[in-house]
Amino acid sequence: MTVTNQAPVSPADSGGAQAPSAYERLIALKNAGQLAERYPEIEHLLAEAGEADLLAAGRLLAQVDPDEVRTRHPAVPALTLAVTGHGMLAPLIPALVGQLARHGLLARTRLGDFDGYVFDLSDPGSALYAAGADLTLCLLDPQVVFDEVPVPWQVDDVDQVLTRKLHLLEQLAGTFTSAGHGTLVFNTIPLPRRHTAQLIDHASRARLGALWREANARLLRLAEAFPALVVLDLDPVMAAGIPVSEARSDAYAKAHLSQELLAEYAREIGHLARSVAGRTKKCLAVDLDNTLWGGTLGDDGAEGIEVAETYRGEAFGAFQRVVKQLGSQGVLLAALSKNDGEPVRKVFREHPGMTLREDDFVDIKANWEPKHENLARLAESLNLDVGSFVFADDSPYECGLIQRELPQVGVVRLDDEPAYHVEKLLRDGWFDTRVVTAEDRLRVARYAEESQRKDFLASFDSIADYLRELDIRVRLAAVEASQVPRVAQLTQRTNQFNLTTRRLQPADVLALIEDPDALVLTIHSADRFGDNGLAGAILGRWRQEPAGSRVLDLENFLLSCRVFSRGIEGACLTAVLRHAKARGAAAVYGHYRPTAKNGTVEDFYPRNGFVPCEDGAPSEPGTAAYRHDLAEITAAPDHVHLTENL
Amino acid sequence: MLLSLDDLLALLNDQLGLTVSAASVDDPLDTIPGWDSLHLLWLITTLETRTGRRIAMAEFLEAGSLAEIYDVATR
Repeated sequence: MTVTNQAPVSPADSGGAQAPSAYERLIALKNAGQLAERYPEIEHLLAEAGEADLLAAGRLLAQVDPDEVRTRHPAVPALTLAVTGHGMLAPLIPALVGQLARHGLLARTRLGDFDGYVFDLSDPGSALYAAGADLTLCLLDPQVVFDEVPVPWQVDDVDQVLTRKLHLLEQLAGTFTSAGHGTLVFNTIPLPRRHTAQLIDHASRARLGALWREANARLLRLAEAFPALVVLDLDPVMAAGIPVSEARSDAYAKAHLSQELLAEYAREIGHLARSVAGRTKKCLAVDLDNTLWGGTLGDDGAEGIEVAETYRGEAFGAFQRVVKQLGSQGVLLAALSKNDGEPVRKVFREHPGMTLREDDFVDIKANWEPKHENLARLAESLNLDVGSFVFADDSPYECGLIQRELPQVGVVRLDDEPAYHVEKLLRDGWFDTRVVTAEDRLRVARYAEESQRKDFLASFDSIADYLRELDIRVRLAAVEASQVPRVAQLTQRTNQFNLTTRRLQPADVLALIEDPDALVLTIHSADRFGDNGLAGAILGRWRQEPAGSRVLDLENFLLSCRVFSRGIEGACLTAVLRHAKARGAAAVYGHYRPTAKNGTVEDFYPRNGFVPCEDGAPSEPGTAAYRHDLAEITAAPDHVHLTENL
Repeated sequence: MLLSLDDLLALLNDQLGLTVSAASVDDPLDTIPGWDSLHLLWLITTLETRTGRRIAMAEFLEAGSLAEIYDVATR
């Protein structure tokens, strides 16, 4: 029996007609009344589920009480999704529940009244705003426009309605920005042929097409003006062959968007939800033979592999270009291959057809160790959680092995048709994020510097000598508007040195900047090997204690995994304590909310002179509070050169 | 493929996680635990794919019981 046949929950590995499908296992859990109890397993169960199974799974899971899941599994990240829009949108709910479950998230959903989006979004007192959703989905369909054109109609009529609707949507986005919470999602409005073809002359049809697209372009640009807004472009989804609507559901059930389109929409929302919940993947680990190039290097030799020129070579070349494209935006690339190391490096250095080169990768592990062990070592050396990896391989054996040994890893199952590699890799928006920042584009270089630091470290007898020689320079400063996307991103991407794991969207950070009681500090660090950029943030809030004294709450403290454990955190905390004391604070409170991944900072505050608060401490349930009375502030480590601009 | 009443019940039980039997076919749909009118849209697509025949959606949506659904679906 091969390793892949033992996979406990991965249906695709099970082989044989008797093995129950993911969905059958889910039904068995439901019949046993265990869906809530075993919710954390469902993510892995659904990893390989097809479209139909995912929808069916969503229908079952939509019947589970999210509160029961949360009670049993407090660590499962839960997101509230409010759905509003124009037509009948009930079929979207199970699709969303299924997609979120697939990403290990728990969806609480709230469906607004039929055609209620204007009321829901324009009234800050509406039930929609009361829900405080993380994601508010406002679905726009062609009938938003065509319900309001007269019979018979002309292109000018559509133009007028489009202008009115765009104005309305802009106002709604404005109201959401001031009254709402989280992220608002609009979508481009599809233009079905059943409308264009009603015009019999080509000139009018062309004009309608132009006006419609201009309206959609304005809609897409709204996101530039409203940081809380995301506009999903449905054109690429429909271009992949997804029908806009089904005539009978459209006519009889006012379901103006097809179930297939809603399912794809839900998939895109799943990717967005993953990013909002801080579960965006960070590193892509790719196989080499028959993944990046055609053929087997060990058998065919460097001159025998296909990366360009031949039919299959062109397809592998195209895949390499896409991998490089992802890398250019901050996705860390690594190679995992069962090969001898030297021939592999030679191909990356010397093969004329290769698009990807050695310096595109943070690590190339070409050896004969099992891939899951290589991947785990890679995660350790990059100081990343294994769950932030995506693994792509054409071998079902290797994919099954990773899925079984490291179920947190996202697995992309490629096959023997390289022309499909690109679509398979991009299908799941693994690396989707709200904004790509300047930091992202430099990430590979930063990690390369990190590996030089490690070599440098190895040359010292003690860590203290090493730290002194590292020449660490830190700048602690009040946040600037241009740094908002990066600060929001830090709250979303950082899992280990993240004291309360409160994920913030750019709009939330902006709101903090404008709040006179809030303190938002950024941490830049650099050392002899290079600049680490904006690598951390401290979020605080001033408040008056009942007794009248002024105190500072540190609501969160974040540091990128690249730079912690070098004294930077201690130096910054000391500076903040001194700053608070100078401003007349009676005390500073630190808060720690445990998650599955931030155990490393559990004792951060007590180690730095804070004492645990008694009952009635100013903290939320599930969060521990610590108090520093500012009498004695620990000196900053002397190897850190700190500049302040608070 | 011809659709039997048992096939319909099995589909509802297996795919929607309902618990319906021959005894409940005449019950009003809204008295069936777990029933949602949204199931009808899914059911039409699923039955049409299975049987390869088109179902009259307007009548299907008006059906008040599983027996009536079966009747419209097999007409």
